[in-house]
Amino acid sequence: MHSTLVRVQNVFGFFTTVAFTVAAVIALSTFIHPQFPSATVQLRNVQIVRGRPNYYSYKKEEYAHIKFSLDTDLSTLFNWNTKQVFLYLKAVYPPNKAGQPHSEAIIWDAILPAASAPWHQNHYIHPDPRKSQSKNSKAKNKVKAKGKAAGLDSPYKRGELHLSDSNPKYRITDISGKLQNRTDVRLELGWNVQPWVGALTWANKNKYGVWEALEGGESDKFDFPSIGGKKKADDLATEKGQEGHRLEVGGDQPIKRGS
Amino acid sequence: MAEQLLEQVRDAVEGQMDFEGQRLAEMMTTVMLGAAGIVAFFVGFMTQDIKLSLYIGLAGTALTFLAVVPPWPFYNKNPEGWLPPHSAISGIQIEVDGKQVG
Repeated sequence: MHSTLVRVQNVFGFFTTVAFTVAAVIALSTFIHPQFPSATVQLRNVQIVRGRPNYYSYKKEEYAHIKFSLDTDLSTLFNWNTKQVFLYLKAVYPPNKAGQPHSEAIIWDAILPAASAPWHQNHYIHPDPRKSQSKNSKAKNKVKAKGKAAGLDSPYKRGELHLSDSNPKYRITDISGKLQNRTDVRLELGWNVQPWVGALTWANKNKYGVWEALEGGESDKFDFPSIGGKKKADDLATEKGQEGHRLEVGGDQPIKRGS
Repeated sequence: MAEQLLEQVRDAVEGQMDFEGQRLAEMMTTVMLGAAGIVAFFVGFMTQDIKLSLYIGLAGTALTFLAVVPPWPFYNKNPEGWLPPHSAISGIQIEVDGKQVG
């Protein structure tokens, strides 16, 4: 510590040690924060259509269009070390041949930011419940005010979602290109909790300490129908969300939608 | 004149301190940075605000740099005295290869 340079090196060296230690303690502190997430997933409608993976493709594949309703309370996933939660809904279905693993495909996803996360265009914007349900508008106004007071784009509190009869974000297909008449399909909710520092954690099916297992989060089993007659295009719409920016197939610029 | 100026500049850049000062600087580094880390975690945890933790930690570090790096006068309160010149001490004779050098 006899000269300026040596002191700078010593102070900085010990600073890195302290920073690492504090970060490690912060990462560990999330494990004492109780979590009790719950969710209900329900199938609303499922249709199979033929389509092409892209404009130039000669190959036709079968696509499943799954409408769902989702009610979640994931507010306990947000603690002081949470940056954002990546929430996704996947369809899980058994393989064609025995002995192969189940197939999983994401039909809908959302990025739920924590209070400490700065604004980003891809953060999920919850659809306004008043648009779909005109009755009960007084009660909805009340929850809206609650959400807005917390500085949210959502009418509900952080981590709470109430989607009824939502379109999927993505139509899914199988690697074989065949999807109709599959049985024992179910929808499953999953997520990643992305912390500021520490480990990425997935939706837990088991209880770990004060982290309760996800309650619900799976739909009843259903079957994919066979390809029917003409479908109305409206029934097969996908929901891009109101987040605005999204990279579209074939586009090299994110397209701004709505506002 | 230029040499004197250079000497002053070198002294300022080197920023030397005495032995007691060095011990004190070492102690200050450990205590201040350690305290900043502990305070940062607990204040952040109490308020559930991780950014506050970050800013307290960084502010504490900046303060430590400011307190420890420059050679403040209180680090030079116990200067080490030089030994008196050889000529002042009688009875010491140093011989190198049979020749008297000191």
